[in-house]
Amino acid sequence: MENGKMQFSAPVSRDRVISKFPKWYTPQACLQTKDHWHVRVKTACKDRAPWSLGMKMSKVVVVGDLYVGKTCLINRFCKDLFDRDYKATIGVDFEIERFQLLGFPYSLQIWDTAGQEKFKCIASTYYRGAQIIIIVFDLADIRTLEHTRQWLVEAMKENEPRSCSVFLIGAKRDLLASAECQRVERDAIKMAADMRAEFWSVSSKTGENVQECFSRVAAVAFEDSMLQALQGGVPSHIGSSDLIKIDRGTAGDPRAADENRLTCC
Amino acid sequence: MEQLPDSSPALAFEKDAFELTVEDVYDISYVIGRDLLKISNAGEDVSELQFRIVRVLEVFETLVNKYNLSLEELKMERDNLKTELERIIADSANGQGTQMLGPNKLVVDLTDPNRPRFTMQELKEVLQERNQLKAQLLVAQEELQLYKSGILPQAEPAMVEVDLGSPPSNRPAPVPNEEKTEETKEEKSTIKKLFSFRRK
Repeated sequence: MENGKMQFSAPVSRDRVISKFPKWYTPQACLQTKDHWHVRVKTACKDRAPWSLGMKMSKVVVVGDLYVGKTCLINRFCKDLFDRDYKATIGVDFEIERFQLLGFPYSLQIWDTAGQEKFKCIASTYYRGAQIIIIVFDLADIRTLEHTRQWLVEAMKENEPRSCSVFLIGAKRDLLASAECQRVERDAIKMAADMRAEFWSVSSKTGENVQECFSRVAAVAFEDSMLQALQGGVPSHIGSSDLIKIDRGTAGDPRAADENRLTCC
Repeated sequence: MEQLPDSSPALAFEKDAFELTVEDVYDISYVIGRDLLKISNAGEDVSELQFRIVRVLEVFETLVNKYNLSLEELKMERDNLKTELERIIADSANGQGTQMLGPNKLVVDLTDPNRPRFTMQELKEVLQERNQLKAQLLVAQEELQLYKSGILPQAEPAMVEVDLGSPPSNRPAPVPNEEKTEETKEEKSTIKKLFSFRRK
């Protein structure tokens, strides 16, 4: 891909084409309230800047208690599947989802981590270099919301302060009656505001808000990367080796990331 | 003596010394007292002898009493020690593993087919390998999609589609689905195989 061959990007499906800046779920807990692209980003895209800046991919790390529905959320978004049977994630898994943002190909590398305590030592080695941290909780289990703060602390241990955008996603909203759902969402919005995170309430089973939420994630990631790149060259996480280097055979190897990090940051 | 109706007290004389009880001592005293009475009735002065015999019987009573009490105590002591010993043996048999392992150690049942076997490091390596292969698969899928949709310039797909012998620039770019040579047929079946892995 470094040789420019992949500048010819395969077409993406229509729901991965984002030209209008996607809207928040609630203005009470969102990363930005504007409904349009940052003017500098828009101008830069007209000048075909993403190519010259090497804009390709952002790393998204999904964390949260076990059995809150992290894998289901990713499967609904990436494969449009919902599997009712619970299968604990072993260590980590990932998906790459391609978008077209303002006419440019852009991918999210979505890391699905195990919620089980015993895998924490493996999963946490994949937190580094995250541009987006998604913390998932179960709307029907208030304790999982209480634990989100600790998940944020742990994810941020591996990242520079203020280098990540945080999304707080309440899953399984199909399990709650609307009054109950509103009550839990009020608590979650408070928590999200505290964390400076953006709140979303979704159902992987019905698919409600899943597409909208990830479109927002992609747009925020793309815009942040662009702004950072325009400000001071390539931002630390763009093109950093914390991303999978598909073309160098070091894919998903955190040790390889470690070695290269010294030279790139 | 043997003719007397209550001859039972006299049986105490026949008992083994170590089996004598205080009651036996009283039976003996009763028999001796009765004999002394017979002698005094016969007109002999036995008062001095009587006092000495009483003194000896009192000493005898104390000794027998003391002996029996000590014996009882020793028996109890022995039983206690026995129980204690059994408890210690049972304890050490049950907790043998944990006592030897110390804290934060786990005993693994080697007959359990689901017992933990692999180390965290091994799991990490397997996961890394899986991630690498998955990433390569995704790239391959994307490239195939590019060739399929004809987005890549025609010279480039030729690099993949022609056989390794001839340089790609020397050949006209093959048009998908039209050339029916053996090479392209084979190539397409490989692609088909690869595409069967594609996620929707």
